[in-house]
Amino acid sequence: MTMRAKIHFFIGKGGVGKSTTSALTAVKMATTGHDTLLVSMDPAHNQRDIFQQKFAEKPCQVMNGLAVKEVDSHYWMKAYLKDTQAQLKKAYSYQSAFNIQNYFDILKYSPGLEEYAMLLAFESTLHNAENKDDIIFDMPPTALTMRFFSLPFITLVWLKELLKLRQQIYDKKEIVSKIQFGKKKIEQDKVKARLESLIADHGHLSEHFKADNSSVNVVLNNDHLSFSEAIRIQQKLTDIGIDIARVVVNKLKNGELIEDIAHKFDGHPIIRFPLSSQELYGVESLKAYLLENNGLH
Amino acid sequence: MLSLLKSIKNKIVAAFQTTDAVMRGRAVETIAYELDELDNIFGILVLGTFIGIPSPPIHITMDLLPLMENEMNIMLEKVSTAHDPLGDLFSVLEID
Repeated sequence: MTMRAKIHFFIGKGGVGKSTTSALTAVKMATTGHDTLLVSMDPAHNQRDIFQQKFAEKPCQVMNGLAVKEVDSHYWMKAYLKDTQAQLKKAYSYQSAFNIQNYFDILKYSPGLEEYAMLLAFESTLHNAENKDDIIFDMPPTALTMRFFSLPFITLVWLKELLKLRQQIYDKKEIVSKIQFGKKKIEQDKVKARLESLIADHGHLSEHFKADNSSVNVVLNNDHLSFSEAIRIQQKLTDIGIDIARVVVNKLKNGELIEDIAHKFDGHPIIRFPLSSQELYGVESLKAYLLENNGLH
Repeated sequence: MLSLLKSIKNKIVAAFQTTDAVMRGRAVETIAYELDELDNIFGILVLGTFIGIPSPPIHITMDLLPLMENEMNIMLEKVSTAHDPLGDLFSVLEID
């Protein structure tokens, strides 16, 4: 699927200002004529504090050209488990014997389900915002974000190995069927077909992270702690084939970057966000900040 | 006379068909056993989370679970022979 919209991720250490810089970028884009969607993926949902209003799954227009939505990962988890449970009821003739449905109440606490819910929300957001010019994702702090980015890749490794085993089973079933019944064609293996469709889906998802229209912006402050974490983020992303597009230095006091940042990220565009003299909340305040800083060219 | 011949012919054909089915069944017994084992391994790999072994990301298990009734049955059957896996194998290989 070719996306028209440009996708921007804002990632970084907790507290560096991912929400503020993503909100400022969104306002800037909207004021320069881009139809923009700002998506809060962080469970802390700071965008509601910045824009001084509540948001939900349905995008809410906050100014001309800018809509904001909040991803509720619990909603996606519940919907996903409900759907799986319904399929189980349909497929298993005596599922009560396995007592599987009793596990569903605790499955929502399973490791990995939160980032999968985020992936489902991400996919749905892209699907519903196809006509936007830009989609900006305000991401959660590093740990959850890194699990989110790596999930499609880890999933693909598992799926491909499982498919190999399933293919082996399918080939043997074909041999058995040929000898026993004299025919080679056997019933389509639903598990194999499902594995193939999952591989295609996760392949598309991981392509979104690497596509030309996607950019990962690492937000950091002008200090060594957030710099060190930014380096680790860059390494982990490189491991899964994702490049950093820009480095965003927030709360910059005198315009001078510490030497490490300037040196390490020499080849990347570095966007500087000076420290604001006042707290930034409300669209007008964000616009005033951008005006004060010449639109952050 | 003709009907008698036809009846004899049918019986011979039926006998051949039965022998053929039995021989074909015996020919694939070992491979069918191996197939069961592979299905069991696949089931354990995907559904390992339910029995406490390392498993794929939970959504893979959830996505495949509705389609794996057969593997579930094989896994449950294997529980009954789990205490004597060699005996199970020997019976397939017809070793007394």
